[in-house]
Amino acid sequence: MEYSNLRRQTIFMKKNLFDQGYLDEQFNQLEELQDESSPNFVEEVAALFFKDSSRLLTNIEQAIDKYPQDFYRLDSLMHQLKGSGSSIGALRMKNECSVFKANCNDRNLEGCRRSLQKMKREHATLKQKLESYFQLLRQVGPSEYAVSSRK
Amino acid sequence: MQIMARRMIRVLLVEDEEINRVVARAALKAAMTGDGGDDDDGHVLDEAENGEVAVQRVRAAASAAPYDLILMDRQMPAMDGHEATRRIRAMGVTTPIVAVSSDGLPADVEAFIGAGADDFTSKPLTKEKLGNILSKFRLA
Repeated sequence: MEYSNLRRQTIFMKKNLFDQGYLDEQFNQLEELQDESSPNFVEEVAALFFKDSSRLLTNIEQAIDKYPQDFYRLDSLMHQLKGSGSSIGALRMKNECSVFKANCNDRNLEGCRRSLQKMKREHATLKQKLESYFQLLRQVGPSEYAVSSRK
Repeated sequence: MQIMARRMIRVLLVEDEEINRVVARAALKAAMTGDGGDDDDGHVLDEAENGEVAVQRVRAAASAAPYDLILMDRQMPAMDGHEATRRIRAMGVTTPIVAVSSDGLPADVEAFIGAGADDFTSKPLTKEKLGNILSKFRLA
């Protein structure tokens, strides 16, 4: 049956996101908070995250090119991104934030640049994967989302 | 049969990032509601986007309807969580203040406790963490 197939695909897709380290337990926590009164809660939080993170990445990119470098500001911006990423369970991004912050601490500009490029790649990949996941969930339907989220 | 009215818990969430406010809002509602899914989840939530607004809200609420719990972020524009905590304590307000930060470094925790916070928890806020906080301060 097509419906069972879709359900299996969502479960498999989500498992992959966890197995490959893109998401952590916080994503499950968000799904637990989704209910009939807020049926699109997780997708809304994800949209907020990507809006915030895109802005922060742009600000970081602009700040990193300024001279002299303000490592305090760079650290502060990345701290915001880390907090935002933690809210959605974006594990790989969160880990890369820590790498960037360590480079700020060491005043290692090249390290910061490398970390930022990696961060942008992780960001783009996570966005694409989550968009696919939510698209599939919409096909499955809201009544089954709660079941899928508990797997 | 007498029905006991459930007292509404007043919570102030001090957090500058919208995404963190959205998640905290939902987690608090879940923590208050439990598994009952009751519409009347027994709390009123106010929000402040920085420490300065938080201090104003606490001052305004102090005489009429003081808060039962304050959840305080650390890094915020205008006034950070440490300073806001100090100023709230300086007003003589004894409402439990729980510091919320994504770092959780010992120095950060110590600074918050030194400023007058009662407890510390890490971001992101979850139903479980908030449930534990509410239990600790006998609010649920």
